[in-house]
Order: sequence, then C-alpha cells, then structure tokens
Amino acid sequence: MKNFWATLLVLVTAAGLSFGAFYVLNDAPAVRQAAHDGDAMAWLRAEFHLDDAHFDRIRRLHDDYAVVCTRHCRAIMLARQRHAPPEEIAALERVCVEAMTDHFRRVAALMPAGQGDRYLAIVLPRVADYDHRGTPNIQGQP
Amino acid sequence: MTPPDSSDSRSLSRSLADWRVTPPRDPHFRTAVWSRLEAARRPSSWPAFARAHRPALTGALAAALVIGAWAGRERARARVDHERDGIARAYVQSLDARVMQLP
Repeated sequence: MKNFWATLLVLVTAAGLSFGAFYVLNDAPAVRQAAHDGDAMAWLRAEFHLDDAHFDRIRRLHDDYAVVCTRHCRAIMLARQRHAPPEEIAALERVCVEAMTDHFRRVAALMPAGQGDRYLAIVLPRVADYDHRGTPNIQGQP
Repeated sequence: MTPPDSSDSRSLSRSLADWRVTPPRDPHFRTAVWSRLEAARRPSSWPAFARAHRPALTGALAAALVIGAWAGRERARARVDHERDGIARAYVQSLDARVMQLP
C-alpha cells in the first residue's frame, strides 16, 4: 500500500511538472498584461512582436486615423440628432466601416512579415461581429 | 465416442509406471525458498517495487507526462485566447466611429 501511494505521488508530481512547463511555454504574459491593463497599443506591440520602429509608425497611423474617426463619429451623431433618414445614417456608417477596414489594412502593411495577416485575421472579423456593448476609448477601455 | 484401445492403455500405464523424475540436486534450494518467503513477508523498498514493475511504471509515467503537458498547454492557450479576445474587441471598438461619443 505504501508503494502504491509513493507511485501515485511520483506520477502526480511528474504530471504537475509537465503541466507547469507547458503552461509557461504556451503563456503570453505580455499579451495578458496588456489585456489586463486595457492598453490596446501595448497589446499590439506584444501580440505582433513590433520593434520600436514598427510601433512608432503604427502609433502615428493610429493618431492620424483618430482624426478621421472623430470626423465620421461627428457626422453620424449629427445625422442621428437631426433624425436623418435611415438610408443616410446607413451610408455614413458604411463610410465609417470602409475607412476602418482600410485603416486596419494599412496598419497590417506596416507590420513585420507574417504578422500583418495574423492581425487582419484577428481584427477584421470583430468589425462585422460588433455587438454594440459600449463606448470604449483609444486605450481599449469601455 | 470410441473406447480406448486396451493395448494402448496398457502401454501408457507401463510408461507411466517406469517414469522416474531425477532432478539435479540443488544444495541452495531450501535456502532460496526461505529467502523468497522472507522477502515476500517484509515490505520492499519503492525502488525495488519500481524495478519489479518497470514496464507498467514507465507507461504510467509517460501517460502522466503527456496528460500534464496537454493540460498545461490547453490551459495557457485558453487563458491567453480569452484575454486576447477581450482586448482585440475593445481595440476594434475604439476605432469604430459608430459607437464613439464626442464630448
């Protein structure tokens, strides 16, 4: 009986060590930290392995797009406030979506080889999948 | 069913009657038997137990390592995927003029 428990202990220890090693190997602490902090730019940097040069170019692109995005936002809000026809609001929203996807493609083009496609595969489905749950800021915090 | 041939039966009985087993003498036989009885009576150490059950133990150890590795990998990936999904969704929404609110 003593040998049975000793064997069980050895097996459980081996499984635990294996679990820990593969957990660490498959973990992405920088991505999790950025997500925990709600810092979308830090997430981009960690997730897509951006060096300083890539990161600066992408941040500038985001800053430039923020101006465009604000303009689209104002146009949509004004249309809603004056109870514009639904077709007009839909057209403005279409312009917004087109500008947004175009922006994502330009960001992807600035990324290191192989990362751009992965970036688009992550962000583009979420444009169509949007479920209107909040009004986040540029840091990704709702 | 056919009855056994009486001549064959007599021949077998004679062979069995003449059969003698003459095992080689082993002066350590009795000692070996007692030492095995003693070994079985007292608890063996775990290394001895492991050596005695080496194939089963090796298999169980391999299974434990594989299960641990698979579980660790899946757990880490699930956690990262969950965090990634949340921040990616928030990132996309942050650039979506349809949901922005101006001051």
